[in-house]
Amino acid sequence: MMQINRQENDMPTETLKEVGAVVAQQKAMERGVRFLPHGSRLFSVAAGWESTMIRQDKGVVSCDTLLTLEEAMQDEDARVIFIPADALMTDDDIEKICQRNGIVKTLFKEVTE
Amino acid sequence: MTKKKTKDTAALLKKKITELTADDFAQLEKPLGTSSRPFPMWGPQRIEHGGRSDIETVLSFIASDSNPLMIFSERSYEEVVALAYCDMPVPSMLPIFKDGLERRADPLVRQKDIIEGRQPQNENFNRTQMMIGDPGHGKSFLGALQGRLRTKGSVEIFDCGGKNMNDLLFEMVLDFGAGDALPKAIDKRLKAGSLEEISVGLLKTLPGKAVTVDADGDVKSIDWTYLKNAGADEVQAAFDTLKKVSTIEGLDNAGGNALGMNSQFGPLIRAYQENREIVLDEYNKSREGSDNALQTVIQFMIGEIRETTVDNPLKNKDNTSGPSSFTFKREDMGAGFFVTFTGNKTEDGLTTRSLNKSVYDRLKPDTLPDPDVIDWQHRICQMMVGLPVSTLYTTFKDEADKDPEAFGEWLMWLRKTKAEVEGAPVPELQETLLTNWQNVVQASEKLALFYDRWAGMTDAEKITYNGNADLIEEVDEEYAKKEGMSFRRIKQHLEEAIPIRARMEPVDSPVKLDMKSWSKSPKLAEKVEENPSLHFGSRLVEYIERMTYEKSGSVGKNKLYNKLQKAMEEYGLRDISLQEGARSRQKSVEESLNISAFSDRDLGKQAVLARKIFCDFVRQMDPEIKAEDDQIVTSKKFLDALQYVSTKETAPTNELFVANRDPESLYAGNPLVAAIIKDAAVYAAADKELDFSLSDLVHHDDLIASFALPTVGAKNLSSVWDQNIRPMTRGDAKPVANDAGDADATTPANQNTANNPMDHDEAMYISENRSSHGIATTSVQVLYNDEDGERPVSVHIVRNEQRGKTLVVSEKAPSKLLAAFREAGVIHVDRKDPMAKTKIETALTDLTRGMPASIKDRLTDAFKYRNDEDAEHLRGKNPQLADLMIDPDVDMLYAKFVVKNDKRANGPK
Repeated sequence: MMQINRQENDMPTETLKEVGAVVAQQKAMERGVRFLPHGSRLFSVAAGWESTMIRQDKGVVSCDTLLTLEEAMQDEDARVIFIPADALMTDDDIEKICQRNGIVKTLFKEVTE
Repeated sequence: MTKKKTKDTAALLKKKITELTADDFAQLEKPLGTSSRPFPMWGPQRIEHGGRSDIETVLSFIASDSNPLMIFSERSYEEVVALAYCDMPVPSMLPIFKDGLERRADPLVRQKDIIEGRQPQNENFNRTQMMIGDPGHGKSFLGALQGRLRTKGSVEIFDCGGKNMNDLLFEMVLDFGAGDALPKAIDKRLKAGSLEEISVGLLKTLPGKAVTVDADGDVKSIDWTYLKNAGADEVQAAFDTLKKVSTIEGLDNAGGNALGMNSQFGPLIRAYQENREIVLDEYNKSREGSDNALQTVIQFMIGEIRETTVDNPLKNKDNTSGPSSFTFKREDMGAGFFVTFTGNKTEDGLTTRSLNKSVYDRLKPDTLPDPDVIDWQHRICQMMVGLPVSTLYTTFKDEADKDPEAFGEWLMWLRKTKAEVEGAPVPELQETLLTNWQNVVQASEKLALFYDRWAGMTDAEKITYNGNADLIEEVDEEYAKKEGMSFRRIKQHLEEAIPIRARMEPVDSPVKLDMKSWSKSPKLAEKVEENPSLHFGSRLVEYIERMTYEKSGSVGKNKLYNKLQKAMEEYGLRDISLQEGARSRQKSVEESLNISAFSDRDLGKQAVLARKIFCDFVRQMDPEIKAEDDQIVTSKKFLDALQYVSTKETAPTNELFVANRDPESLYAGNPLVAAIIKDAAVYAAADKELDFSLSDLVHHDDLIASFALPTVGAKNLSSVWDQNIRPMTRGDAKPVANDAGDADATTPANQNTANNPMDHDEAMYISENRSSHGIATTSVQVLYNDEDGERPVSVHIVRNEQRGKTLVVSEKAPSKLLAAFREAGVIHVDRKDPMAKTKIETALTDLTRGMPASIKDRLTDAFKYRNDEDAEHLRGKNPQLADLMIDPDVDMLYAKFVVKNDKRANGPK
């Protein structure tokens, strides 16, 4: 019988969050992609821990209206954009905003299943 | 949102060109296409053919340290090259890309020459580029890409469709006051559902492009940015509507919710003032006669005149305020300013107009060529893996073939650097495909040829002379516009193929219908997570097949459907096993893009995967083990084990490597332990008794786990075969049957020798894994213990060597192995599973697809060489192979025992 027990996890919380966000992003990417104009991509992320991890990841900007999405598109530091499930926008709206902003962003849209 | 401090380079493109210094240039210059880092380029060249030369368009490269392409960019060098190589325009657009980069660079190069005291090489002050092409060709993408290569910020894409072009200079806008307070307040109430009904009704009357209404008729969103600059007429109407909404909602009382109308500098003047790029998209869809005031500005922008002043016609109109005029001056020209005009071909609908001759003369538009096969392939690769592998491979073929691994690493570096720019990881699917870049090149070429053919068939203008004249009745202009092949359609096909969805089973698959208890939800088996690349090829090809039918056959275009079907066959989209006589080494698109995570040639990566599977297995087998992977076995130790296994020649000696759960040796760093097959047939031939006991046998789960490990599973599945039954049957038995007529004359099955009647026996070859059909079956025995006690049990194996697929029928396998089985191409069936028979039949149908119908009978015969179907309970029942495999009471005739930790050869001492 093996006697090894789980040791105390000494990974810093920040690192855990970062790892969690990457795992959540990868899971979202497996669900498929919508290719948007200028090379941006829209992924769907399941509501729950996955969307929470992405939303809370540092550097990720959350946008719930077209005004804030437009602002994020024009912010060169906002590379990843999170769109909550109750945001006031459709996928076509997102495509339209991406069409008039020639820049590459990665967008994650929360979806409830 | 918080902004980082901008680096020094970020401000440099905001400077006037005349103010740039030598230091500024040192920071901005990013060469592309140097001697050691060539950049692909497309264009005409004189090519020699046996003493005769012709002008041909070829894909070559730029590789000059003295005169590379120069990008003056505020981005880092690595970002520039990653974007330039990954987002590279399709080959036929590369000359336009080069031209655009040079136009952007010329005035800066001139300034640098002046600073360095040289005679300027050029007097080019043109700050524009215009391109005309079909919709979806990537014109605005190309314009924006060139801007993105220079700056980190967004490039404004101004949609000129239906707009007054004079608005580019001065425009009437809605003024929402500081902080867009009114739109924010309305959005907030919209989200909360607290807007008055009458307000919602009024909002729906705003210009259609500004408001999205969902299927229930509710307002889903308002595009305030569009509304703000929607053009004078629409701005006026929106102003009146929003005034009413503001009053109804009581928002007009709040201080910050001011609403007004003003004239201001239009997008073109703002881009000039802010020294940034702008793309004027679909310029020839703008309102006819609306660009008069723009003519002198265009003259200025192309460098024809040094200065021009434009007046604001909106000033004081309806009491609005705003600037009176604006003066463009060459000496004020900023380093970052540039204008890209895009236009659609005039054939593209009524809204596209022909521009004035003066505009054409001044802007000298480049017309984009129709996409060639190389362009389709380029774009397919970009969508599949995030960079144009095919174009890079074609350009650097010799180098890539010489060192495919280094080429693959370079591709991965480019993709990962681009991912850093994007701020998100490379999707797992893309990473797996990129690791197998040769498969991507092969598959994308076939897809490109197929799509090019499809495009030719659906181009109404060209079908009379491109070999598709027979389609003239089915493909008219309307159909071509609606369903013609384009990059956008390919994008849709790839988007649809990425997610794993429910799949239709082959029509000849056995089906089991449980007709009882439908009032309750079905009892589902444990969900097995699937790697997205494992069946990506199948999903893509199935979707393309569906689309070819939906876009042709289902709407009565039968000739087109038949031609598309033939093209699919011709270009090998489908798995070759479906095609008669197509047992070539050329992989189909489906096969090339169905990539197992186990196929990574990097043993280090295989070790990472194998260790995870192994540790999950160990923890599942003994739930008291809570140890982390590293505590069970280190990656290094697993790598050592895989390296050892991969170098061992085990097939001739029937040696195996199985999972080791013995704590002592496992913690000493040995995740695998040697085992060997001891064949009762060999003992019988030597007239010896078995010299091992039940406790010497390898446990069922340890053998099964080995099949789920990369490298180990493949090795073991090649080591379970023998020819020990052959001498026992020679001359004694009649051949069961044979399929020699179907087989290849060069294979063992047809190397007929008169003295050896069994050489005709296909079943014998199948039992030895020597069949020309590539199918084989055998059985081994291992130790198993459950509520029925400890006993030997049979593990039946059916393998299709050519397709790397294996059916394993045995006892229940630990669930942690199920996902890994899929990666390994193993279909494991628990013989006690109520659906076992159906699952086995489905697997056998798949494994024998494309083979003669009699193969299934021969497989059964082969099975019987090792298994006794003459059991009492089976007499008179004519059981099928699936029945025999699931039957625990079918004993082995001459059992092949998997014995642990025994170094002796596969016979008695």
